[in-house]
Amino acid sequence: MTDRALPKSASVVIVGGGMQGLSCAVNLALLGIRDIVVLDAGYWQGGASGRNGCLIRPGFGGHEWTRLFELSWREWTTLSRKLGHNVMFTERGYTMIAETGPSADMLRNASRLHREYGITSEILTPRQLSGVLPAINQACVTAALHQPRGGMAPHHSVMKGYLHACRKKGIDVRYRTAMTGFDMHDRSVRGVYVKDHLIRCDTVVIAAGPQSPGLARQAQAEIDGYMMRIEAMALEPMRPLIGPALALIDSLAYFHQTARGEVVGGTEVPETPQENLRADVPAMAAMARVYTRLFPQLADIRILRQWAGLLHISSDLAPLLGQHPRVRDLWFSAGWSYGFAGAPGAGLLMAKAIARGKVDEIMRPFALDRFEKGNPIEEAGVVMIKN
Amino acid sequence: MIRIAWNNTTLHASPGDTVAAALYRHGITTIASTRKLHEPMGYSGSYVGGVLARVDGRPNVRLDQQPVREGMRVESQNRWPGASCDLLSLARFLPPRWVHGGFEHGRFTPRRGRAYLLWERLLAHLAGVGRPPPRLPSASERPARKLCVDVLVVGGGPAGQRAANDLARSGRTVALVSRGATLGRYAQAMGIAPAALHGDVTVLSGMELCGSYRCGRLMIAAPVDPERGAVAIEAGRLVLATGKSSMPPMVRNSHLPGVMDAHAAVLLGHFHAVPAGTAVAVVGTGAETMVARRLARLGSGIAYCGDVSGLARIHGHSRVTGIDIGNRRIRCDAVVHAGAWRSDPALAFQARAEGVLQVSDVMAADADISSVGFCHEPDQDIHVPDRMDPALRICPCMDVTAGELMGLIDRAVTDPEILKRLTSCGMGPCQGFPCWESMLALLAKRTGQPVGRLVRPSHRPPRRALTVAQAAGLCDVVEPL
Repeated sequence: MTDRALPKSASVVIVGGGMQGLSCAVNLALLGIRDIVVLDAGYWQGGASGRNGCLIRPGFGGHEWTRLFELSWREWTTLSRKLGHNVMFTERGYTMIAETGPSADMLRNASRLHREYGITSEILTPRQLSGVLPAINQACVTAALHQPRGGMAPHHSVMKGYLHACRKKGIDVRYRTAMTGFDMHDRSVRGVYVKDHLIRCDTVVIAAGPQSPGLARQAQAEIDGYMMRIEAMALEPMRPLIGPALALIDSLAYFHQTARGEVVGGTEVPETPQENLRADVPAMAAMARVYTRLFPQLADIRILRQWAGLLHISSDLAPLLGQHPRVRDLWFSAGWSYGFAGAPGAGLLMAKAIARGKVDEIMRPFALDRFEKGNPIEEAGVVMIKN
Repeated sequence: MIRIAWNNTTLHASPGDTVAAALYRHGITTIASTRKLHEPMGYSGSYVGGVLARVDGRPNVRLDQQPVREGMRVESQNRWPGASCDLLSLARFLPPRWVHGGFEHGRFTPRRGRAYLLWERLLAHLAGVGRPPPRLPSASERPARKLCVDVLVVGGGPAGQRAANDLARSGRTVALVSRGATLGRYAQAMGIAPAALHGDVTVLSGMELCGSYRCGRLMIAAPVDPERGAVAIEAGRLVLATGKSSMPPMVRNSHLPGVMDAHAAVLLGHFHAVPAGTAVAVVGTGAETMVARRLARLGSGIAYCGDVSGLARIHGHSRVTGIDIGNRRIRCDAVVHAGAWRSDPALAFQARAEGVLQVSDVMAADADISSVGFCHEPDQDIHVPDRMDPALRICPCMDVTAGELMGLIDRAVTDPEILKRLTSCGMGPCQGFPCWESMLALLAKRTGQPVGRLVRPSHRPPRRALTVAQAAGLCDVVEPL
């Protein structure tokens, strides 16, 4: 995107110019850090930040996730002001649907937990449900949990907002600029290489989505997790039919209708993890089956396009946030599966930890060494397949 | 005679007509409108958005593929308050800059709260094009079937038929997919006698091959008729005989009703006895004389015939009224373009997993794809005038103008993927063809790069050829990897 020469030194180099990387960069700048460089091998919005489902909710099923995402949701409500750009976050609500008894119980427990944290969240009666989602086929629903202040934001406008804020704060963001190696001294990173060019720095943050484990290995810093493809698709646009965002616990599906009328969503099918960005038939077919069952009006609507995105999935599906336990000054914001919703909050927490050296209580459970210490995070409220 | 209702009037149609042909015969050229500025669009053969309407309550039906039925109710969409009066077309008077950036731009919009929700509802109303279909208590999937063959040939024209015959004679199992209900419709319309197809070739007619998956080993054929189920085809080899399409000329008003590609105009004349116009201007890259001769035999009057690079502008408000050739104004009621000819790259792109960030793996090298016939010949360059008219619509369905793209290109945004994301160019019903061909031609001209060096945005399946119920039926025939 730019022909300027790369700097010789920086305070922080962030590898990955997606939402996590840019959010971290903006929050570091707001805490007074200067000379931040963001490097990205691909194009702007080329990774999961431009391929996700755009959904945002504060409440999950367990304490750790709920605390993190409630914080992030609060960031969302003021994000447009913070970035000086309208990110078009809309509180159209977020409804989680259970189709079986056990999932209905999980939603009831989640609702109690949400209230503990002051999150508006309610189990809907069938009558309330038809008020919120008149078009849904209620015969499929055993329980519905509604978070009226959740919602969605178009990822294009959010990424525009983050890039706009980075540029205004003097952050050097480079796309199509691949990091090729680390400068290491005594198990501590001292810089990154772009081909032959060395950028010396105090801190490196890896926020490279599916590429994070591979980049970590280059610094002899193993991290948990693996690369996985997930898929989404968009239906042709129509006037509003579906108000809130929807997540189906049992069908592993999530979707919403965008401001321009397309119904966008995805689901997962059990498959061998794929390391490519090619869309396939089974996920599209499974998603179409969900639409046909839940919203019979969509049966004859046409599918515009389908696409795939790559994630870095950790063993407990939760993000990996913090410094590597054995390589100093190497930080991670990786392992994200709800990264779009979580980025504004995670960027804030990461920036505070890097700039002030103090890891927040909300961020601590997501530490990288939680698996070796026997503390993986249990969470029942995520809509993700477990391989 | 068959009677159909178009908005508030009743029209007579002939058996075998498509709705688009019946409307054109009655002089109704405007069927739809562009999404934001409500510019008129019609049957063009290039832009799908121009032929979408509501048929018997079902939104976004392609009228160029929909046969007429007695008592059918057809309504134009995206009009408010009603079909006969569209106040939304006042949007045409907005300054063009106001509508730049797709629908997802935050200019002039309240940042949050109730005001934003109201704004968003207005936006969704303006952007949503069609109303949802009526409520049903339940819906059923369209069961799909699976077909395994040695070779799949795509395209039912003479080249596809020849390739299928040769392969069948050499003992391969062959399937041939054709979009038309009968094979070789364009060749037939141009007066070329159809060849006989080998008896062992499995023919899937009235189907669009809407996606190639798994490096061209798995293809999905979607029936044009939404009542029929899709077909999943496993093939060892893919042979493309999809021909080429004529690219709309890069001059102002090339989206107007009355501008048609040669295929659309010839098919209309041959199969429906509807002439393209009483005074037709035919432009092209060499084939225009042959096309003009054929159109004249099919009842059109020819007002002009010449090279497309001579065309400076198309005139008209609600439909074509004339063209400028250099400084000379010629009155005409239709413009037919026969070139530049380019192949639809989608199927080869998907099978070969081209594009940026396609994390490569072993499978990609295995793709066995070839092309035959016109499709195999090199694509022709699109003529881009030295002085581009900023009002030209590159992607008319989404109201993306040359001016908007040039504004970005001149600010050093030269990555096709990013141009797509910032403007929504190619995100409408055509899903990138022909819009990205024009966008890349403009980008190449503006930046002085050869067009072949530009990386094209990802051509994604199934580009509205498959309905949700048809896709659902595929659950039972395609296993996950």
